[in-house]
Amino acid sequence: MKLTIALPKIPDIELVALEGLERLARSMGISEEKIGEAKILVTEAIINALEHSGQKNPTVRVEFSMTKKELVVLVRDYGKGFEPGTIEEPDIRKKVSSKNKRGWGLKVMKSMSDDFKIESGKRGTKITIKKFLS
Amino acid sequence: MDQPFALTSDLRNNCLVIATSGYVNNVGGEAIAKEFARHFEKGTKKVVINLAKSKVVNSIGMSFLIEIIEQLEESGGKLVFTDLDPAVEKMLAIMGLFKFAGKELNVEDALKSLSSRK
Repeated sequence: MKLTIALPKIPDIELVALEGLERLARSMGISEEKIGEAKILVTEAIINALEHSGQKNPTVRVEFSMTKKELVVLVRDYGKGFEPGTIEEPDIRKKVSSKNKRGWGLKVMKSMSDDFKIESGKRGTKITIKKFLS
Repeated sequence: MDQPFALTSDLRNNCLVIATSGYVNNVGGEAIAKEFARHFEKGTKKVVINLAKSKVVNSIGMSFLIEIIEQLEESGGKLVFTDLDPAVEKMLAIMGLFKFAGKELNVEDALKSLSSRK
């Protein structure tokens, strides 16, 4: 099953995508634990895209492709792009004493997913996340 | 859809117990940090955060909790999370929060573990 949504940047708009994801997953009998992890992955991908696209009025396109075995999430923004290799992996020991305590999104997505890919260029960024569901 | 964020707080045995409901985003995380600060100023250094009714969180909201950890580390205090949804627990583990904060099944267990601290 597939679901595609375009989200403008308004507060908590990611909850709209989570609602769709949850309904899709429940209709397919996916476990609560896997739904919970999928919701966190989708949340992080969307807020990351909306926050870092660099556009004044960004829109993020989200696509879910779900089977009983796996979920593939594509989150695409049309902003300025970035170089993923330049992003330093956060470390809690440093963050505790640092002024900037944020910057966890990519680490959470990489660690919680079963496959994670970023494609970024001048015309935007596409994040592809795969999560096994069984 | 997930309900809007709200919190309640209670002082029990000199421990601050904060219970949240709804989505812990930046607004929710900041509200938790403010509630903590209000009590920390008065000397409370043992904190329990009950996330039983928060099934969705994001990393921006959670980063506000690192501020709480920082202040407690500097003052010899302790933070304990309770009633964690498995996915939320996994996220906090990925962020490394349990290197500094504890976790217990429920508030009563957290209060017992904190009561043994000075």
